[in-house]
Amino acid sequence: MHSTPAAPDQSAAANGIDVASFVPKTCLAYLRDAQNDDGGWGFTQGLESRVEPTAWCVLALHEFSEGPGVNEAAARGFGYLERTQLPDGSWPATPGQEQGSWTTAPACWALLAHREQAHERLDRGLNWLLQTTPADASRWWRFVRRLAARRSVSSQSDQLYGWSWTQGTASWVEPTAYALIVLCRGPEKLLSNDARKRISIAQKLLLDRMCPGGGWNCGNPMVYGVAGEPQVVPTVWALLALRNSGTNEYRKSLDWLEANRGNVQSLASLALTKIGLDALGRSDPNLDNSLAASFRDKDISVVNVPAIAWTALAMSSKRNWLKLTMPGETS
Amino acid sequence: MAEINDARRDQLNMPRIAPALSPPFSRPPSRIAIRRVNRYEADLSALLFETLREFDLPVRDKTVLLKPNLVGLDPLGMMNTHPAVIAAARETFLRMGASEVLIGDGPAMDRDTQAVLESIRLREYAGPLSRIFVDLNIDAVERVELKTRASRFKELYFPKTVRGVDFLVSLPKLKTHHWAGVTLSLKNMFGVVPGGCYGWPKNILHWAGIDRAILDINAAVRPDFAIVDGIIGMEGNGPIQGQPKPCGVMVCGDDPVAVDATCSRVMGLLPEKIKYLAQAGTLLGHIQEEKIRQLGESIESTCTPFAVLEAFCHLRRNASGPVWNLNCL
Repeated sequence: MHSTPAAPDQSAAANGIDVASFVPKTCLAYLRDAQNDDGGWGFTQGLESRVEPTAWCVLALHEFSEGPGVNEAAARGFGYLERTQLPDGSWPATPGQEQGSWTTAPACWALLAHREQAHERLDRGLNWLLQTTPADASRWWRFVRRLAARRSVSSQSDQLYGWSWTQGTASWVEPTAYALIVLCRGPEKLLSNDARKRISIAQKLLLDRMCPGGGWNCGNPMVYGVAGEPQVVPTVWALLALRNSGTNEYRKSLDWLEANRGNVQSLASLALTKIGLDALGRSDPNLDNSLAASFRDKDISVVNVPAIAWTALAMSSKRNWLKLTMPGETS
Repeated sequence: MAEINDARRDQLNMPRIAPALSPPFSRPPSRIAIRRVNRYEADLSALLFETLREFDLPVRDKTVLLKPNLVGLDPLGMMNTHPAVIAAARETFLRMGASEVLIGDGPAMDRDTQAVLESIRLREYAGPLSRIFVDLNIDAVERVELKTRASRFKELYFPKTVRGVDFLVSLPKLKTHHWAGVTLSLKNMFGVVPGGCYGWPKNILHWAGIDRAILDINAAVRPDFAIVDGIIGMEGNGPIQGQPKPCGVMVCGDDPVAVDATCSRVMGLLPEKIKYLAQAGTLLGHIQEEKIRQLGESIESTCTPFAVLEAFCHLRRNASGPVWNLNCL
C-alpha cells in the first residue's frame, strides 16, 4: 500500500545549520538508507530504482565522498548506472523502456565524477546526446510550422532546437539545460564544429524560451499573447546551463530567482534556489535556515530522493559538481 | 502503493460501475447530478454526501483514489481543482465507508509537486498529506498494453497506485482548453501519465494527438466516478491562462463521458462537436441526453455560457455565445 518515507533526521537542523554535521546526519544518511539492493535509488524510498534519482544521488554522495560509507554507496550507484546504459549509449527513464531519454544527461553528469573508470561509457552517452535531435529539429516540422505561422499561438522561434524529454517530441527547457551542462563539461575531443554549433543553437533556444519578466517555465514563455509564469526548477537549470555561455542575457532571470526566494517553500525549490544563487554569485545565507526549516517540517508531504540529493548538493561549499573542470584536471 | 489489481478486484467481486469499453447500446443509462453551490466556503461535504448517497456507490471498505486537476503553481486558486472540493470529496468517501481515501496527481507543468501543493494550501483543507497524497509522477509504474490504440501508442506506463485502487474518482475543474476545447474528467486523466517516465510536460501525449491520447488513457484507466468543480471555472485561454468564470455548480456522475457531456452543455457548448468527447461516446460512455438520467438541477437552469477561443466557435450551442477576444489582452 501507500508507503511514506521517513522524514530525514532533523536533529542537526534543529540547532541551526552546521554543514559539517547537517549533510552527513540528515541528507547522506537518508540517501544511504534509501538505496536499493541493486545500487540504485527510486524517486522515493522503497520504490524501484530509476536512472534519474540514481544520478543525482551519485553526484551528491561523490561531493561528500570523505564521509563514512559514502564512497561505497556512490560506487554501488555508479554500478547501477553502468548496468542500465542502453546499447546505443543512452539511458531510459524507467526499467523496461528500450529508448533513451532525458535521463542520459544526468547519468553522464554522474559518470563525470567517475570519469577515469567510465570514460568509454561517458563518451558513448555524450555522443548519443550530440547525435539525437528532437522532433522539432526536423525540416518537415519547420515547414509545417511556417505554413501555420499565420495562426501561431506563441512568439517563440521555430528555427531553434535543443533536447526533448523523450524521443520524437519537442525541445523543452530542462532537458536542454541538462544536456548543455554536461556537454560543456565533456571531453574536448567530442566537441567538433558541428557539436559546438548544436550547443550554440540550444543556448539560443534557452534565451528564446525565457519568460518576458525573467525566469523559465517548462518552455512556454508566451501562449496566445499571455506571458507564462516562471518556475524555480527550470530556471535554475537554465541559469546553470547559460552561466558560461558568454552572454549576460540571462541576468534578469537571475534577478527573478533572487526576488522570488521569499516565496519558495518546498524543499526541492529551496535547494535549487540556493544552488542557483550560490553558483551565480548571489548567495543568501537565509536560505540555509529555510532549508533547515523544511527538514523540521513534520509533514514533508512529498519527500523525494532527488530533493534530498539536491539539498546535499546545495550545502556543498566545494561545489565540485558544478565546476567545468574536476579537481586535479587541467582541462 | 495500492496492491489490489484487476485480478484481485475480480476475486472480491467488485465490479466497476460500467465496463470500460462497450458500445452505447449495451450500456445502461448513466446517472448525473448537477448541484448548485456558489461558494467554496459552503458545506461542500454535506452537499456531496447527500448527492453521492443517491448513487449507492460500492466503496465500503474499499480504497478510493481522488484524482484532482493540479496543473501547476496556483496561489490565486484559478486553474487547479479547489482544495475545499478535494477535502470535501475525501471526507465524503470516508463517511460512505471507504477504508482509505488517497489523493493523487502528477502535475504536468511543474515537477516540484510539493510546491504545487503548498501553493494551493491543500494541507490546510485536507490535513497532513504525508500518508494520503501520492505523487503520480514519481510513483512505481507498470507497463499497460492499450486496448483502444486510438493513438500511435501500443502501451503506456501507468502508476501502480492508479491501477491498484478499488475506486477511481476524477475530480477536475470546469475549464476550456486551448487545444482540446474543454478539459473535464476525461482530459483530467492526463495527470495519471507519469512525468517520471515521460517528462514535464508529458509532451509525448501531445505528439500522439491529444484527442486520441485521451481515449487511450481513459480506456486503460477509466474513472469509476467524476465530480467536477464548477463553482468557479475557467474560460477563454484555459487550462492555465484563462479567466475565472463563476458558474456555481458541481456536477457528479457514474459515467465520466456523460459527466463531461453534461458539463459541456452547462458551459453552453455542444459535446457532439468536441472531438474526443464525440469519440468517447462511441466506446466509453454516453453523450446523448436521452441516455443520461438527470438528477438535481437542470442543464437549462444552470447553463452559463463560457467564452471560447475563436478556433472553438463551432462548439457553441448558441452562435451568439461569447468568444474570447485575444486582442483584449
